Amino acid sequence: MFFLYPMYEGFVLTVYDDDALLPIRESPTLSGATVAKLPLGTELEINDRRSQEMVNAGSDDLITDQWFQVEGTGVDGSLLRGWVTEARIRVREEDASGQPLAGTVRPRLGEGADPLTKIHAEPNETSSVVGQLEQRATVTITQSAELEVWFLVQPADDMNSGAAAGWAPSSYLRVSEDASRGWVSGATSGEFTTKFIQRMVDDRFFGPALRTTLLLLVLIIPVQLVLALAMALVIHARIRLNSGFLYVFALPIGMSDLAAGILFFSIFTGNGLLNSALDGLGIIDGPFAFLTAETTGWILVAIVAAEVWRATSIMMVIIVAGLQAIPDETLEAAELFGANYFQRVRHIILPLLKPSIQVALILRTILALQVFAVVVALSGGDVVTVLANESFRQYADLRNTNVASAYALFILLLSVASAVFYLRSVRSEAEVRPT
Amino acid sequence: MKQTQDPHPPALAPLDSPEVVQSHKQMRRKAKRGRLLTYIVAVVIAVWILVPVFFVFSMAFTTVETVRGYPKNFLPFIPFSTDTMRFFLESDGVLRGLWNSFVVAAITLILSTLLSIPAGYGIARYIFRGRDLFRLSVLAVRAFPIVVLSIPLAVLFLRAGVFDSLWSLALMHTALALPTSILVVSSVFASVPYELEEAGMVFGATPFQSFRHIVVPLVLPGIAASGLFAFVLSWNEVFAASVLTLDNRTLPALVFTSLSNSPDAYKFAGGFFLMIPSIVFMFFIRRYLFNMWGQVTK
Amino acid sequence: MAEILVERVAKSFGDKVAVKDVNLTIKDREFMVLLGPSGCGKTTLLRAIAGLGMADAGRIAIGGRDVTYQPPGQRNISMVFQSYAIFPHMTVRDNIGFGLKMNKVDKSTIRKRIEEAAELLHIEELLDRRPSAMSGGQRQRVAVARAIAMQAKVLLMDEPLSNLDALLRLEMRAELKRLLADVDATTVYVTHDQIEALSMGDRVAVMRDGEIQQCDAPNTVYESPTNRFVGSFIGNPPMNFLEGNIKRSNGQTAVEVAKHEFSLTPETQSLIHDLPGNKVTLGIRAENMETLLQPTPETVAVNVEVVEPLGAQNLLTVSVGGHRLKVSTHPTLEVATDQVLHIRFPANQIRWIDPTTNNVLYTP
Repeated sequence: MFFLYPMYEGFVLTVYDDDALLPIRESPTLSGATVAKLPLGTELEINDRRSQEMVNAGSDDLITDQWFQVEGTGVDGSLLRGWVTEARIRVREEDASGQPLAGTVRPRLGEGADPLTKIHAEPNETSSVVGQLEQRATVTITQSAELEVWFLVQPADDMNSGAAAGWAPSSYLRVSEDASRGWVSGATSGEFTTKFIQRMVDDRFFGPALRTTLLLLVLIIPVQLVLALAMALVIHARIRLNSGFLYVFALPIGMSDLAAGILFFSIFTGNGLLNSALDGLGIIDGPFAFLTAETTGWILVAIVAAEVWRATSIMMVIIVAGLQAIPDETLEAAELFGANYFQRVRHIILPLLKPSIQVALILRTILALQVFAVVVALSGGDVVTVLANESFRQYADLRNTNVASAYALFILLLSVASAVFYLRSVRSEAEVRPT
Repeated sequence: MKQTQDPHPPALAPLDSPEVVQSHKQMRRKAKRGRLLTYIVAVVIAVWILVPVFFVFSMAFTTVETVRGYPKNFLPFIPFSTDTMRFFLESDGVLRGLWNSFVVAAITLILSTLLSIPAGYGIARYIFRGRDLFRLSVLAVRAFPIVVLSIPLAVLFLRAGVFDSLWSLALMHTALALPTSILVVSSVFASVPYELEEAGMVFGATPFQSFRHIVVPLVLPGIAASGLFAFVLSWNEVFAASVLTLDNRTLPALVFTSLSNSPDAYKFAGGFFLMIPSIVFMFFIRRYLFNMWGQVTK
Repeated sequence: MAEILVERVAKSFGDKVAVKDVNLTIKDREFMVLLGPSGCGKTTLLRAIAGLGMADAGRIAIGGRDVTYQPPGQRNISMVFQSYAIFPHMTVRDNIGFGLKMNKVDKSTIRKRIEEAAELLHIEELLDRRPSAMSGGQRQRVAVARAIAMQAKVLLMDEPLSNLDALLRLEMRAELKRLLADVDATTVYVTHDQIEALSMGDRVAVMRDGEIQQCDAPNTVYESPTNRFVGSFIGNPPMNFLEGNIKRSNGQTAVEVAKHEFSLTPETQSLIHDLPGNKVTLGIRAENMETLLQPTPETVAVNVEVVEPLGAQNLLTVSVGGHRLKVSTHPTLEVATDQVLHIRFPANQIRWIDPTTNNVLYTP
């Protein structure tokens, strides 16, 4: 569980844009059915406005409306109590704190305007009408409420002119001064997207990082396999001080790639061990700068050396365990029947070690895909970079979680692919196990 | 059937005659030559592994001038001085980082031990069929990219408001250490025959008593080893620590994030602190080395 | 000719001496069994002959060639291992042909020899299978086939039957004996099972603590052990040993055991008379005593402690004067626990043993 959930989250981060779309609704409430989803930045025509309960209080783009609960005598002479927008009431009386207490209904201006003002049961225009007030009628204000304005919008550009119109809260819109036009400035609904992957691929470090990562795999793993086999065979030979050698051979297992990076930095750096040695032997004249942008080849050599140093041990341990599973008598039989040491390795040991080697290769390849501190320690992380480092950089320096996640997922993909590759390439022998 | 050509083999010279003694000496030397080659290979590899460690340790305990100097002296610790170390320890945040690393590693040790004992015991005693599957999933999890875990977790932790907390990092490290810890603990439990516990119960101990008095003493070293493993894993972990912390940097995260703007002396002294626990740890867990990393194929 | 000469061979592992100064000559085409309890050095000696553990000192020669420090592959030997050591990743065919391939024998010969060996061991139909799915008996046959396909001059066998169950072991023992009679090799066979040793070997070398105690034909080893250890190790039940006191009077020597006085033949008189001290050990096999229901002047009264009916015989454990004896009787003789029986020790079945050296002084 602990591993699956973050993986799922990572996947979501990579391909799902959390706030890409703004749903517009049939009616100006959050429960209204969604008519369409508009991407960020869509130009809008605004056709109407309504006041509604707050969706997103505190938002910068919030446009609000004040509503008053009023009491007064209606057109039909009865006593009315209901809600009306602040725009229809002229406040005449306020208390000390500025709270409105009483006012009059504003007259409507212009030809043909309805002279009466509707009073609503609740503070929004869609609620039922409880009655109407004459212009200039006196009312007492019992309560006031701040409401968010919703706009009836329609995509403005010509291509979308046929698109349905719908309501959206003002907090997700940026509206022109006369409130006739605007654009989508925020969004609440996600969308599957490839744009993060696209951004990863377009990233100028992606190509070099992928190339270097694969190049390192190709350079490191064969060297390590041979070396790990040699180390395992040395341990398996049960020479004197065997456990001492095993301890030394296994030492790097517990070390981080950062430590290995520092170790090899100490060797390859300008005034480091290698230069001192070469200079001392008279091979070079003065220090040679190995770890500069002009000597990426040497940086790669240093990374390979550090990685081989650090991570061969774990392959060795797996292979030694495999060797221990081969009975001594089996090897003695081969020796007795005339196989010399190299024939024994080739005809007996290697075939019987195949499952162990397979596991060692899978583990090693996958761990190699995650290496990054060693690269940073030896190259600064710019001159030579790898996928894991780019993931870190996107996250930590560029604060781009989604792209960082895309890199991480890409590493996972490569890991799975390499595991499948190894399993397939040695599958025919996989069922043969030492008995 | 094959008949040998010479029915009368030549008589051998007496065993203690000089010619036999001489030729035996030669043949013995020749037969041991292969062994000598093995020793040479072993020593070469050992030197190759030890020299960088040695060099960094030597740099960590010398003067800052020596670290800056060129060419380097090959004799270790000359001149011996605690300057580099002091410079490192007095740098901003280092003591705090060490302490943070220690706290996170200790929490990881405790959590993973507490969780792996019941899980390992259960797997060793009761689950037989699923064991291979379990091994396989341990391999899968061990190979699971920390990178893939860290970033979504950082986002989750941010959302949950537990970002940059030592506890969250310890939780992450526990999750990373747990599969291996469980595997080790279960193999240690599996090496104690259940009959021993049954014998304890036959002689009147309660199940808990027989576990406490018979099994625990036998498995304690193995459990200690798995705890140490968790400690070192946490102490070494760079990526998650760098991603999940900001002000509460652990030592590796601190050293890593300041790589580009720190002097060599700082790096080498940092390297010393990064390596020393694993060197000590490797010494104590030699016996369990193969339980931890080797047995995925069996 | 493949005479094996083992000369003052010694081998120790750390402080533990496994083989000390062993001398042994195994004649060409002889079937030699190395027999002894576990840890007696028999396997170490075999491995020294094979070259699988270098001897510390001494010389091993095969067919007149000094091979003491030669690798096993160059000794012209072949071997059946205790665990069979079949190569699990190869088919039976490749297993049998492995040694020949390593020795660069040409392919048609390899094929022919594989088929011959498979036919001899009746495993023709297994040739193209892998060993992982085979039974212990089948693997054993493969191991033997692999060993004889080499047609080496020396065939070594390290407890080849010990991993088989009892019934299969019995069957395989006879088959192996038949098979090896046809194989033209000097054979060295290690076992801890005395029945295997006695039934198969031309000669049996009984080992203990890294030394050869006795090396003789099976009958001789059984009938005439040279010392108390061989007598006690060979035979089921082992030979009985009784401590006796020597009575020397008027130039006449007699031995008293459990208040019974044994008269001695003239031959043994002088041997026992010359022994220092006045103790001597008497050795007699369970089947060599006569059990009577009525006493005679020659019998000793014994008390029956345990009766074990074994089918073809009854094995009694009896006690007399603090000694315990194993006596086998005919199943028709009805005996009950706590019954008193009378036992005669025929003089011509008694071995006399020096209690200080444990060497047998006299065998009739």
